[in-house]
Amino acid sequence: MLELLTNLAQATGIYSFMNSPWGWPTAESIHFLGLCLLIGTVGVFDLRMLGVGQGISYDDLHKLVKFGVGGYLLNVTTGTMFLTSAPDQYIYNPAFQTKMLFMLVAGLNMLWFYATTSNQVKTTDATLAVSDRAKLIAAVSLISWSVIIVCGRLITYFRPPYHWCFWC
Amino acid sequence: MAIVVGINFAIALRLLGWIPQFTLAPFYRFYQLHWFGALFVLLSGIGLLLAYPAKALTNPVFYLKFVALSIGLLIAAWLQKKIRNNSLENFSQQRLKLIAAVSIALWIIAITGGRFLAYTHSVLLASRFF
Repeated sequence: MLELLTNLAQATGIYSFMNSPWGWPTAESIHFLGLCLLIGTVGVFDLRMLGVGQGISYDDLHKLVKFGVGGYLLNVTTGTMFLTSAPDQYIYNPAFQTKMLFMLVAGLNMLWFYATTSNQVKTTDATLAVSDRAKLIAAVSLISWSVIIVCGRLITYFRPPYHWCFWC
Repeated sequence: MAIVVGINFAIALRLLGWIPQFTLAPFYRFYQLHWFGALFVLLSGIGLLLAYPAKALTNPVFYLKFVALSIGLLIAAWLQKKIRNNSLENFSQQRLKLIAAVSIALWIIAITGGRFLAYTHSVLLASRFF
């Protein structure tokens, strides 16, 4: 696995870029901007479903989500660059593993939203509250993204081999 | 920081006309959350500055970030006031788009500056000067 990721980074030029003087901080800056886009759009939409900003149309606010998807793609791209450039610092890192787990939760939660609730939410009047299921989905989404952000920061502080996770 | 920048991005995208149907008037309620986030940014920033004052204060990138953050928050406060008073219509679309573009640029500088701080410092501890 480590060899595969390292080979991928070296074959694509990611490794050279990330190990250049400005490579890593540039990728980090883009990663943070993607995160801000995500929170400013998906996070704001989640908060709206939880009752913040009554009077703002759910359907109008949902139009922001496409920018969140753009932010997510930036995060996946730069995240892959981090992972492939130093796979041993991520694969065995408990903060990274927890981050990935909550990204899975956020992803499944999003699928649940679009499969069952999105149409209902988008047609709900701006002065009314959404269903309890929509509120639950919004809460799970906000909690997941908060944990993802915190774990992202903690990755730096739980680096192997000083902090091996107890289940690795 | 994600809350502060994210909410400013959302409002700037609306002012740029990329989400034309989106009504701004009720959005001022999100500013409460925005200022709550800004308070966290301030407190954590002071904590980091107190922990490694020489690292930040000897680095020009710190001042760049500080200025971008301060002007970004001033623009946010101004926009909040105009949204609350429904007086944004008094300004031309061109001017509002310029303000939105400046706001986005300032937040990008603030975030990029923040990340580059960790990589551009030449002094770590104040004890170096004693």
